[in-house]
Order: sequence, then C-alpha cells, then structure tokens
Amino acid sequence: MIDTSDRSAMRAKFAPPAEKPRHAGMSRRSLLATAALLITTSGATAKVVTKVLPWRPNEAYPVPPVVPGGWLFFTAEEASVVDAIVDRLIPADELGPGAKDSGVTTFIDRQLTGPYGGHDWLYMQGPFSSNPLPTQGLQSPLTPRQQYRQGLAALAAYCKANFGGRGFADLSAEDKDRLLAGMEKGDVKFDGFSSRMLFNAVHANTMEGFFADPIYGGNKDMAGWKLIGFPGVRYDFRDVIDNPNKPYTLPPVGMQGQPAWGVR
Amino acid sequence: MSANVKTNWTGTRAWLRRMPMRRIVAATLLAMPAAALADSDNFVEAGRGRALVTAGDCVACHTAPGGKPFAGGLALQTPFGAIMTPNITPDNATGIGSWTADDFARAMHEGRRPNGTRLYPAFPYTYYTKVTRADSDAIFAYLRSLDPVSNSVDRNTLPFPFSIRSSMAVWNGMFFTAGEFKPDPNRSEEYNRGAYLVEGLGHCGACHTPLNALGANKADRYLQGGQIDSWTAPNITNDMQAGLGKWSVDDVVQYLKTGQARGVIASGPMKDVVENSTAKMPDADLKAMAVFLKDRGAAGGPAPTPVAASDGRMKVGEAIFVDTCAACHVRSGEGIARVFPKLAGATVVTQDDPASLIHIVITGGQAAATATHPTAPTMPSFGYRLNDEQIAAVVTYVRNSWGNAASPVAADAVKAIRGKVTGPAD
Repeated sequence: MIDTSDRSAMRAKFAPPAEKPRHAGMSRRSLLATAALLITTSGATAKVVTKVLPWRPNEAYPVPPVVPGGWLFFTAEEASVVDAIVDRLIPADELGPGAKDSGVTTFIDRQLTGPYGGHDWLYMQGPFSSNPLPTQGLQSPLTPRQQYRQGLAALAAYCKANFGGRGFADLSAEDKDRLLAGMEKGDVKFDGFSSRMLFNAVHANTMEGFFADPIYGGNKDMAGWKLIGFPGVRYDFRDVIDNPNKPYTLPPVGMQGQPAWGVR
Repeated sequence: MSANVKTNWTGTRAWLRRMPMRRIVAATLLAMPAAALADSDNFVEAGRGRALVTAGDCVACHTAPGGKPFAGGLALQTPFGAIMTPNITPDNATGIGSWTADDFARAMHEGRRPNGTRLYPAFPYTYYTKVTRADSDAIFAYLRSLDPVSNSVDRNTLPFPFSIRSSMAVWNGMFFTAGEFKPDPNRSEEYNRGAYLVEGLGHCGACHTPLNALGANKADRYLQGGQIDSWTAPNITNDMQAGLGKWSVDDVVQYLKTGQARGVIASGPMKDVVENSTAKMPDADLKAMAVFLKDRGAAGGPAPTPVAASDGRMKVGEAIFVDTCAACHVRSGEGIARVFPKLAGATVVTQDDPASLIHIVITGGQAAATATHPTAPTMPSFGYRLNDEQIAAVVTYVRNSWGNAASPVAADAVKAIRGKVTGPAD
C-alpha cells in the first residue's frame, strides 16, 4: 500500500532532473533503489523451487488499491498534458465519461512508479536495432518512465516553438487532434525524441487504464466496462447461458465489488 | 473387537515393519528400563491400541506443526493461555518412556501424572475417564511401540494463577466425575458401543459443547454446539433445526467416513478429525456412533425467525453473494455435489454461532481429503476483498435465504474473528 507519507519520498525519487542527463533520466543506482522501494515480488532473480509446490493453499495476492489524488511520478505540468492527451483519445460523449474523468492519468502515474515503469521484467541490455522488423518487438533502451519524461519534455518544447509559446493543454481541440494524428504517423518531428514513441506509449496506456480493473486507478465507476458491456470479474455464466435471447442485466463488478456491495 | 484389528491391518504396515527390530532391541539391550520389557509380545494388544489411538485422534494435539507424530509441542490455545501438549512417545527423558501402564491409566482416568501432579482438562481426561482399563492398556502398548523421539516441551506455560496445577483439584470437584463407561442395559449393544466412543475416546463433546467461564463443558448444553479456534462446532444432537435431525444414520456414517454428506463438506478442525481419525475408523464403529447420536435425543435453541429479504443487509448480502459466491455455491445455494458445499439447508450455516461462516469467508479453507473423496476442494479467501460490513451482510444473507433462518451477523462479530485469524481489514 502506498500511503501518503511515502509520497514526498516517491515524488523526489521520480522528480525530473534539473539538467538533461547524458543518457537517461535516471541513473542505474537510483533505478535499482527505486526497484527495491517499489517491487514487492522481485522479478530480477530466478527462484529455484524443488520438492514443494511454490504456493500455500488459500493464499491470496491482494492488489494494493490505488488511492486517487496527487501525482507520484508526473509533475503537475506533465499531468495536465497527459490529461489533455487522454481526453482527446477517449473524450467524454453521450455514451459516458472519457479517459480523463475515468482516472486514466492517475492509472498511468501509478503504473509508471511500479515495475512497469522501469520495464523491470524485460531484458533491457541491448543490442537494439535501429531499423527493427515489427516482429522484433520492443527495440529501445528507454523505459516507460524515460519515454514519458523525455517525450513530454520534447512535446512541451515543440508546442512552445510552434504554437506561440503555448503548451499542449492550451491548444484548441482541433490543434490537439491534428498534432496527435501527426505524432501517430511520426510526421511530427520533436527535437531529440520520437513523437511516435510518445504517442504509442500514451495511446496504449490510455486503453489499459480505461479498461483495467478500477482497483488500479483508472476505469472509475467501471465506465469503460459499462461502455462495452464487459461483465467484470464474474466467472460463471451458467444462469445466463440457460436463458438465450434474454438481455444480460447484471451490473459489472470489479475486484473491489460494485456499488450494491455498500460503501467501502 | 477383532474386527477393528482386521480393518486397520493394512494401515499398520509401517508399524509392523518396525516390530521385529524392536523385539530384538528389547531382547538384547539389558540397559532398557524394566517397563519397556514388561509386555514380552504385545503385538495384538498394540494393534488394537493403534485403532483406539486413531479413534481418540491423539495425534491431532500431540503433534506440533511440522513435528514428529506424538512428540508433542502443539500450543493449545485456551481462554487461560496456551498449553503445550506433551511428548507421548516412549522417550525416557522427554516422553512417557518411564511410565507404567498403571501410570498411563491414572492419567487417562484421573488426569494425574505419575508423581501425582494434575493435568489440565485441555487433556480431555473428563472424557477419557470412561475408557476401559483394557483399552487404556492397549493404547499404552501402542504408544510404547512408537520410536522414542527426544522432544522437550515446556509444560508450564499458563500464567499465574492458572499455573498452580493443584487448583485443578477444585476444578475437578466442580466439573469432573471419574469412572469408566457404564453401558445402558436398556439400549442395544450398538448404541452402547457408540456411546462409549462418543463420550470416551472420541471426546466429541469437548468441541461440540459450549464452555463455561472456567473452561468446563456446560453439562446442560451437552453436544448442542460449541466453538473451537474461531470455528463453529455444530449441534450434534438429534435436533431438527440445528442438529442431526434431518440426517439419517447413513448420512452421519458417510460424513465421518468421507468428510461429505448431504452436500456439505467438513472444513476447519473437523476436516482434521475426519482425515486423522474417523475416516480410518471401522464402519461398524462409525455406525454405532451415528446410532448413538441419532437415538440419544434432541436439544437445541428455539427456531429463529428469518431476517426479511427486504432488510438492507440482506440486499447488500445478496449482491455480494451473486457477484462473489454464486459461481461455485450456485445462485440457489445448492452447491455442486461432492465439489462445492450446499448452503441451503446446511446446519453449519444456520448454527446460532456464525464463527465458521465468517472464518471461512475471511481465510478460505480446504475440505477434508479422504480415501473415498480425495479431491479436497478449496475455498479461496475473501478477507482481502470484503470488509467487515460486507462479510456480515453476505453471511447474514446466506444464513437467511433458501429456507435458512438464523440470527443476523454484526460487523463487530466479523471484526472480532478477523482479529484472531488474520490482521485487520485494510
């Protein structure tokens, strides 16, 4: 559980560097320290299991629920830009709330402070192809934390230079959409960073946040699930299957339940 | 009685293999204490004793988690403090190697050690006093056939004033009647055999009877249900509402033999009783116990009024049940035969004491695995997903749906049990 007393330490840990570093936004030492701070189940070392099963009966691995409020990785400036991007990717409309109102930025912020943010479970030593085949998967030494930090800085610089000193959040909806479309195609050239890499990161994480269980901070009130009719963490549908052509009426349920379970 | 030996014959193999060596050792080592040589050939006696030790489930308490069987060291939690169970292997220094059969019978019948000091009734001598001397000797003969295990146990862990063992003399005066089992001449031999097992070695009443403030079973509530380690030990009188009233003799036998009957599955401490003891007992003894329990009479509280379905707790509980429990226990509470326990009409669900329901929702649990039903279905724990209010609501719903009726459960009751079985909810 990340409680608020850890937050200032966490913010300091992930604060952007005062000067642009030569290689990455984070030294190996601080990354390791971060990993030690954040990772409860280390993926770094393989465990050899012999003679016994590597679990105990009735064990549960509860997810520490994300508590919304504040930012652990993003600066306020970065968060407002991510808010503005995700609000264009999945805008609120007549079908329901969009990504911004569903807490997707909080979801991304918390994911970036965890093992995902450091690609802790991926081989990250290279070599990396400069012209990879699509089948070669990830071909970059940059972790998600570095992609966001450097990519958002490059986007800010691009907007400042091309939109009369304004930031991304201050652009009109049309300008935002045009810029995002250009980033998606890679037509927009940022100084020192791939605009496409930033777009792909935010785009993928926005969908994840909008449709992941609300316990991770996004998909607030199961808005994403209600939109597509996903039933949530139910796993037995015999009663429904026995009633073909009748509407499915049960509300979605998350790992922490649903409103009819009462106030947590 | 020869039937007992025969039925347990196959399970005795490991013990049989050790016998020749033991006899050789006994014949050659003159340094062995005289007591070990007392029974020159106790093969049949020890075999009979082994079956009786199974019926008494001695291994359950006299074995520490991960420890050697019968070497003691389990901390029994009592309202007065923890009592460490003694080593009853024939080790001279740390076990009962220096005891005689008379010493052993005195412990069983009077709750006293060879030196006269008193045992605590956590050792159920209040029940074992009914065991015949012949059976006590057979049990002793079996225990002497075990490998001696050196395991020193601190036997004085109770705090003052309970540390004064002589105070048990007063306790015995209030709650203990010594004396072997007296068969009822007006009842069948089978009934009396069942009574002997249930009231003696089986010591069923130790858990299935509520305790008074001094830790004694309440005589006027005998077998009407109790609580052990935050699990409910249900009413096992023939009471229609809370007891075995709707169970047939065959149902009871099947439950004790397989851990399952009438759609319910043994869990908690009864799972261990079934696995270690009753599943290994001869069918004739199980039937005798069932006949006794069914015929001795009914006693229980008045039938409660069900909580109305319109109650707020019931509505919340229903939502949680449908979303969380119904996948296995089925929307109708019928469960799936032999895999997922039935909740509709299950007496453990509607006991006045809801401890087992709360406990298993918080921690999950595994059912008994027996030779006939080896699967041992598992219930996952929900303590991390449901808070005290939510568990109280879903348990109240289960206790008052599909024809069930039982008192509603308050969040405080859940909180109390959660505090004993896990840390607090987050």
